[in-house]
Amino acid sequence: MLPGDINLNDLFVFDDGIPHDWFRWMRANDPLRWQSETEGAGYWCVSRYDDAVAVSRDNVLFSSSAGGTNIFEVGEEQLVVLRALMLNMDPPDHSKYRRLVNKGFTPARVANLRSGIVNMSREIVDSIAERGECEFVDDVASQLPMMSICDMLGVPAEDRRHVYDLSNTLIGFDDPEFQVSDEDRMNASVGMFEYAQKLGDERRANPGDDLVSVLVNGEVDGEKLNDLEFNSFFLLIALAGNETTRTVTSQAMRLLIEHPDQRALLVDDPSLLSGAVEEVLRYNPAVIHFRRTATADTQLGGQAIKKGDKVVIWYPSINRDESMFDDPDTFDIRRSPNEHLAFGVGEHFCLGANLARVQLNAILGELVSRLPDMEFAGPVRRLHSNFIDGIKEMRLSFTPQGKAT
Amino acid sequence: MKIKVDYDLCEANAICMRESPKVFEVDDDDNLQVLVEEPGEELHASVREAVRLCPRQALKLED
Repeated sequence: MLPGDINLNDLFVFDDGIPHDWFRWMRANDPLRWQSETEGAGYWCVSRYDDAVAVSRDNVLFSSSAGGTNIFEVGEEQLVVLRALMLNMDPPDHSKYRRLVNKGFTPARVANLRSGIVNMSREIVDSIAERGECEFVDDVASQLPMMSICDMLGVPAEDRRHVYDLSNTLIGFDDPEFQVSDEDRMNASVGMFEYAQKLGDERRANPGDDLVSVLVNGEVDGEKLNDLEFNSFFLLIALAGNETTRTVTSQAMRLLIEHPDQRALLVDDPSLLSGAVEEVLRYNPAVIHFRRTATADTQLGGQAIKKGDKVVIWYPSINRDESMFDDPDTFDIRRSPNEHLAFGVGEHFCLGANLARVQLNAILGELVSRLPDMEFAGPVRRLHSNFIDGIKEMRLSFTPQGKAT
Repeated sequence: MKIKVDYDLCEANAICMRESPKVFEVDDDDNLQVLVEEPGEELHASVREAVRLCPRQALKLED
């Protein structure tokens, strides 16, 4: 491998998985490598753990709001829209909005959802158990996140498919197979806003015990959220809650099939499950990168950074930093400690981390105990993206089993 | 060593309780209680870990 070959903008490279050879080289030789762009100013690539923590924890110097959190550059007009999403806010704004929503995501609140999530997991595995084969992404991995997040938001059962389809259209932007045009995407965001508006109006009139009710009736600085703020919240939660957990669920099953020794350990000793979930999160984090923008000239890891420069954190590299993890390329479900940054750290630490962990433990526990011999029945097809480490198709076969209920 | 909690940042993720259960407790209502505001020497290492690992940077140490 020659360093001149490295091009993290090349999505075709990501079709074959994360380019770990490149990241390994960068960590050892050029931890803040400059990546040029054909359409864009170029950006600094954060590949080491300590630098990622420093950037994530300094929201003044490394802003989420100045230029958004995607690598591509957007105009001021579009930035105004993006900044309505918490993802693209800085403190103190971010902290205010976060205080309103985080009540829905605390460990105690999520613990209340656990038995429902366990039941849903059982039903999902029931739906495939007798067949002996499945397309794992659609039949299994995508089901629980959609149901859980809709449960939490308070989306009625009959509307869930609609919300799910809209969120898929909005996410599949980089992959030509999804045939998503700019117009489709625009229609989907309008559709999501319209749906949010409808549900929000209902909950304003008849508040329930769900997150939408909290959002439309809660206050930030003594004021209720306006329509754009609420609709943006809804969109972000629906998107972030679907694609990410689906991705980790699919990656988890792929990793367990590819590492039969590790799966055997887990089948023998279910108490290893939560450690296995953490190791999957470390090994294949769902989000590949987020961007910040430097607000002043500074130094990072010995590199001079100029005001306005784009700084991009690459989580798959952070999670395999040799200085933090022994044998980082070894998938080891008993790894301890395991301080991965799959959920980030600091102000923007994943709001849904607790919910994701409950879901991942529930669905994987059900799968490993009931269908322990899942095998590949076709090639694993990955998402064409350098943003989400997704799997779009994974056909599996297994010994048919009876239903649990 | 004195512990300061920024309750505007704290989200009761309970990492601190895992690292230093004698000092931090997250109750059933998701409220963080600091059991010992000025922990003794023997607890300093675990408290420092708790501060370092808090995903929301809600914990600070004085002196």
